Amino acid sequence: MTNLLEIHNIHTFIGQFHILEAVSLAVPQGSITALLGRNGAGKTTTLKSILGLTPPSEGQIYFEDQPIHGYRSFEIAALGIGFVPEHRAIFRDLSVAENLRIAERRKGDLRRKEEFIFSLFPDLKRLIHLPGTNLSGGQQQMLAIARALVPDNKLLLIDEPSEGLAPVIIEHMMAAIRQLSQEKTVLLVEQNFIVASQLAERYVIIEEGRSVKQGLMADLVDDPATIRRYLGAA
Amino acid sequence: MSLSAATSSPRTRRWQPYLAPLGLFIGLAALPFVVALLSGQSPAGVLANEAGSAKFIQGLLIEIMILAIVALSYDLVLGITGLLSFGHALFFAAGAYLTGVLLKSFGWSLGATLGLVLVSAVLQALLFGVVLPRVKGITFALVTLGLSEVFYIVVQSRELGQYTGADVGLQGVPPPDFLNPTSHRLTFYLVTLIFTFAVYLFYRLFVDSPTGRVCVAIRENENRALMLGYNTFYFKLVVLVIAAITANLAGTLHALYQPVISPNIASLNAMVDILLMTLIGGLGTLTGAPIGAAIFRLLTFFLDRWFGESASFMLGVVYVALVLFVPYGIVGTWQRRGFHLAAGRRWLLGLLTGRGDG
Repeated sequence: MTNLLEIHNIHTFIGQFHILEAVSLAVPQGSITALLGRNGAGKTTTLKSILGLTPPSEGQIYFEDQPIHGYRSFEIAALGIGFVPEHRAIFRDLSVAENLRIAERRKGDLRRKEEFIFSLFPDLKRLIHLPGTNLSGGQQQMLAIARALVPDNKLLLIDEPSEGLAPVIIEHMMAAIRQLSQEKTVLLVEQNFIVASQLAERYVIIEEGRSVKQGLMADLVDDPATIRRYLGAA
Repeated sequence: MSLSAATSSPRTRRWQPYLAPLGLFIGLAALPFVVALLSGQSPAGVLANEAGSAKFIQGLLIEIMILAIVALSYDLVLGITGLLSFGHALFFAAGAYLTGVLLKSFGWSLGATLGLVLVSAVLQALLFGVVLPRVKGITFALVTLGLSEVFYIVVQSRELGQYTGADVGLQGVPPPDFLNPTSHRLTFYLVTLIFTFAVYLFYRLFVDSPTGRVCVAIRENENRALMLGYNTFYFKLVVLVIAAITANLAGTLHALYQPVISPNIASLNAMVDILLMTLIGGLGTLTGAPIGAAIFRLLTFFLDRWFGESASFMLGVVYVALVLFVPYGIVGTWQRRGFHLAAGRRWLLGLLTGRGDG
C-alpha cells in the first residue's frame, strides 16, 4: 500500500514553545489512520503543521510524494487536502447552502457531489437555507464534514469529530466517516478511543510532541498496556 | 425539490433586498418637490433653484449621502470583511484634496480630475495592501492609522500651503458650472443620489456574489477560508480597492459641495465618526451605513446645538451606550429581532480587536 501522506521528523514552534519535537507518520492511501494521544500531546498541532497553519521549522512533509512543507495554507488545501477543524468550525453567518458552495474549488463541484453528501447527511438537505448559526451541534459537525467533501479532496484531516456530541449523533457521524472513507483517505484526531478504534485501521500515538508508536489498530486493541500507558484508558 | 434546486438561492429572497432601496430612491428623488409643495413653494421653483426649504433639505441630504457613501465603504472593509482599518479617513480626504487641488490650482477638467482620483485611489489601496500580509488585527489598524495621520500632517504643512490651504483648509474650489451646488443644487442632489444608490446596489451585488461570500467567511475566520484553498490576501485587496475608490469619489463630491475642505476630514476624529456611523447602523449590514450616516449627521447637529462644546463628550457617551446596549446596531438588531447583548458584545469585540469570532 502506498502512502498518500508522509511526515518525517517535523518540529513545530508556537511562539517560543516547542510543541512538536519529532513527529513522523505515514498515512496509507485509502485508509483511516487515527492520531491518538492525551490532551495537549500535539495532535491538533500536527494537523495544523500539515496544513501550513503552524508551519514546521524542521522536517519534511510529503503529499503524493511531493514535498509540501513551506507551501502556504491555501496552496496545500488546493492540492486536495480537506480539513474539518474541531469545534464544528462552519461559517455561522452563511447559510448551509453557502457553506457548501463556498467550498467549491471548480464550478459544478457541489452539483456533482450533492447526491453523495445528502446521502451521508440527509438532514442538511432539509436545512439547506438555514443560517449556520441556527444548526444544532451535531448538524454543524455534519456540515463541517460535508464542506470538506465538496471539492475533490484526496485526504481529509478530521479533528475531534465526536467532541461534545450525543451518543446517537456520534454513531451517525461514525457511519458517515466509514462510508466516505471508501472514497477518501482520512487522518483522524480522536480523543474517544472507542470511536477511533472502531473507525481506523491504523494508529499513530503522539506523546509530548513526539510520535512514539504506530501500527495496525487491531494490534493496539489487543495491547491494553500500551493503551493504558499512552492514552490513560484500557 | 431536486438536489440542484436545493443548493441554489431561493428566487424570492434574491430580489427582496433591492425593493426597499428602489422605493427609497424614488421617494428621495421626489422629496425636494414634495417639500416645496408642503412649504407653499411652487415645484417649478425647485427646478429654478429658488432658496427655501426644498433647497435646504437638498443640502442636508447631500451631506448625509456623502457620509453614507463613506460609511458604506467602511462597512465593506470592517463589517463585511472584518479588516480592522483605522486609516479609512485617508481615502475620503485624499479624494477631496486631490479633486480640490487639481480643479483649483491646476485648472483640470472634472473628467481628467476623476481619472486621476481613481488612479490615486487604487494606489492608496495598494499602499494598504503592502502592509496587509505583514501585520494583522489591531497592528494593521494602527499602521493604517499612521498612514492616515501622515496625510493629515502633510496637508497641514506650510510647504504645501499654496495648494492645500494648510491648517486653514482648501477654499474656493471651482466646481464645473453644470454641477455647481449653489446654482444647480437639484442637479448636484440628483447626481449624489444616483451615485449613492449605485454604490449601495453595487455593494449589495458584490456581497451576495461568491467573492462577497468569501469576504464574509474571511471575517468569520480567515484560517478556515485559507483551508478551503482561498488566497485571502487577494480578496482583502479587492475589498480595499473597491472601498478606496468609493470613499475617494465621496471625497470628490465633498470637495465640490463644501466651500472649505478642512484638514480635519483626515484626522483621527473623522475616522472615529466613520466608525460611529457604521456602528449606529449596524456593522456588516450595508443597509445600516446610510441609516447610521443620517442619524449621525442629525445627532451631531442637535448635540452641537444643545451641548455646545460638550457635544464631543456626549458623542462619546453615545459610542459607549451603543457598544454596551445595541452592539449589532439598528439594522443588525432589527434583523436578529432582538438585542442578544452578550453574543453581540463578543462579536463586536472580536471585530474591533481584529480577532474574528473563532
